[in-house]
Amino acid sequence: MSASVNQRSHNVLACTRDATAYQKAFGQELRRRVVDEQEPFAIVQADTPHEIFHAMDIPIITNQWWSAYISAKQLSARYFDALVEAGYPANSCKYCSLGLACTLANDPETAPWGGLPKPTVLVARLTCDCIQHVFGQWAQALDSEFFPMEAPAWVEKDPRWYAKARTEWEHVYQPDRIAQMVREMEELIALLEKRTGRTFDEEKFHHLMEQINVQEGYIWEAAQAIGQARPCPVSIAEQMPNTMIPQWHRGSEWAVAHARRFRDEVMERIGQGLGASSNERIRLMWIGAGVWHDPGFYQALEESLGAVFVWSMYMPFAGPAYIRDLHGRPMEALASRVASMNETLHLPPWMNGWMTAEAERCGIDAAVMLLPPDNRLSQSGTKLTALALEDAGVPVLMIDADMVDAKIWDHDRMVTMVADFLKTKGLA
Amino acid sequence: MIAIAGPNLPHDLLRASGRYAGPLPYDPDRDAPTAARWLESKFAPWAPPAVEAWAKGEYDGLEHVLFSRADDTSQRVYYYLCELQRQGLLGGPRPMILDVAKIDRPSSLERTIAKVRELMTALAVTPDALERSIVETNRLRSLPPPVPSSAVCLLSGTAPPDERMHAAIRAAGFAPVGRTLAEDWADLGQAVEENSGDPAAAVGRQLHARKGGPRSFADPAAALARAIEKNRAAAVVLWRIEEDEAQTWQLPAERQMLQHSGVPSLVLTRRDWRGRDGVFDEIREFLAGVTA
Repeated sequence: MSASVNQRSHNVLACTRDATAYQKAFGQELRRRVVDEQEPFAIVQADTPHEIFHAMDIPIITNQWWSAYISAKQLSARYFDALVEAGYPANSCKYCSLGLACTLANDPETAPWGGLPKPTVLVARLTCDCIQHVFGQWAQALDSEFFPMEAPAWVEKDPRWYAKARTEWEHVYQPDRIAQMVREMEELIALLEKRTGRTFDEEKFHHLMEQINVQEGYIWEAAQAIGQARPCPVSIAEQMPNTMIPQWHRGSEWAVAHARRFRDEVMERIGQGLGASSNERIRLMWIGAGVWHDPGFYQALEESLGAVFVWSMYMPFAGPAYIRDLHGRPMEALASRVASMNETLHLPPWMNGWMTAEAERCGIDAAVMLLPPDNRLSQSGTKLTALALEDAGVPVLMIDADMVDAKIWDHDRMVTMVADFLKTKGLA
Repeated sequence: MIAIAGPNLPHDLLRASGRYAGPLPYDPDRDAPTAARWLESKFAPWAPPAVEAWAKGEYDGLEHVLFSRADDTSQRVYYYLCELQRQGLLGGPRPMILDVAKIDRPSSLERTIAKVRELMTALAVTPDALERSIVETNRLRSLPPPVPSSAVCLLSGTAPPDERMHAAIRAAGFAPVGRTLAEDWADLGQAVEENSGDPAAAVGRQLHARKGGPRSFADPAAALARAIEKNRAAAVVLWRIEEDEAQTWQLPAERQMLQHSGVPSLVLTRRDWRGRDGVFDEIREFLAGVTA
């Protein structure tokens, strides 16, 4: 258990409440479709082609969303203990395995939704060595099928990939990697059509891809404005839900409308000179996944020190990772989006190249970086990125903690650590 | 010369190049303060001393080091080294990666074959030279393994840095069977098809199908059962280190298999790769019990 009570974030945007409410309602609707109506559904990793499922109207449960859901219900410690009781070492990778842990605990009384029913398929890209084991065993435990996707090596290493991703994606993401993923997606579509009886409508898919460009364009526009605005109009505690919740529903009418509304509210606050803090003095960058069990952490020093978390990867990632000029090849464009999502966030030169450029764009004074102790993938690239940021004049604090394991997180201690770091660096 | 740093690589092709230097050598016990500035804690522990040696110029005599996509540490180290060289922080040989795809699917097999062809071109190996190398390497594959002189203790799990675990088993009167990390990287695998008309495709098929390693889809508990039977093992030491994040997911199945097998076993998890945690005494005590 953490030594201090984790805190909720406070919101300044009306759309944040609506996004959260929408997601809550969506959760109930998803539960109705998947549990009550027993519709075919899939369990998928975040970096898989969700667009295919959306185009086929097949509900998906994203592993990372499900992990955050379990974590937010303060159940992660219980299920990780269950994993150890089942004979797994206590240091096994946490982020991707909480869903498996919940299934193996087999405790419908306490599990969200009483536990997940049997999915049609589980889908994951093999971005690290443990994914195929976790998903393979999860599929077995749920008596389902695992559809793995390759995460091929990427030898075209352009540190300025983010500047070319929209227009030159065929070259940036490497033609043979794109072709590989297209073939896998075609096989996935064939499997889904066979198992669910639903068909893949190319026209619908094309429209969806166009709408995603519109949606992410709004988010990117807001991200650009936030980078330039002084003070920062909204902290990452609000940037994250307003980016990610629509992203789970990307291309839908609601998602596009919400992204536009979010942009408008951000612009309005900028126009009025309103900041997340009434006295912004330090602009911070958060590097790593969100600390879902303690969203109040990000806002804890806004008033006392004027320290505002201005940047996390989720919102600015909308531009380079999502927006694609389709060039009449939407499937290839999607492949380019999916084929490198993880790599650009966790491997040099993409990670350090992008984050250093982003720190400069957003006028960052210091960065706080999450270093999960038991997760090679989440750790990956952090030291080289920290060095690059420090070379660029941005001091970096590295925190040993896990984004879903509340057991090793203490709100007060973490906030104090950040405050002390800022004081040590002469920023506070 | 070209060295390797990872599993599941095309030995027939490397040998055909006439420049194969074997597994990248490193001192597992050396401190690695320079590498520690760049590598995070969950890298497999061979990486820091190897990167340290690289930084000290100890590999400058090599032209290339070939890394493997079939192992997470191997592929990540490749990207780190490329970046460090781009930034001018490192010199030394040129890192290369073989993009081995392991999913049991035609597209993955074809990708592996395509990457073998690219490596052939990069190393200027002709189809004829590769075919000759396949025949010669198959001859090496067919050599009989040494016959153990005493009861076998199977060493399974994480491949140790050298023979230190084997020595502990030997000291207890047992014959150790299990590969070191370098032996694992250098393992030739199953025979490659000869006279196929397309030696690159034959090598690609062998790489794609190889069992074992973190990216394999084979059942490790079943593989352990086969190894016990094949070697007529009298005891098993299943040893996994702190940094092992892949195969460790198979631990419950392996424990169950060991229990069913009835073969005395010692299961050690989250251990120190260098063996500084009393593991040799634990092995000695365990095997003393087996002997008794």
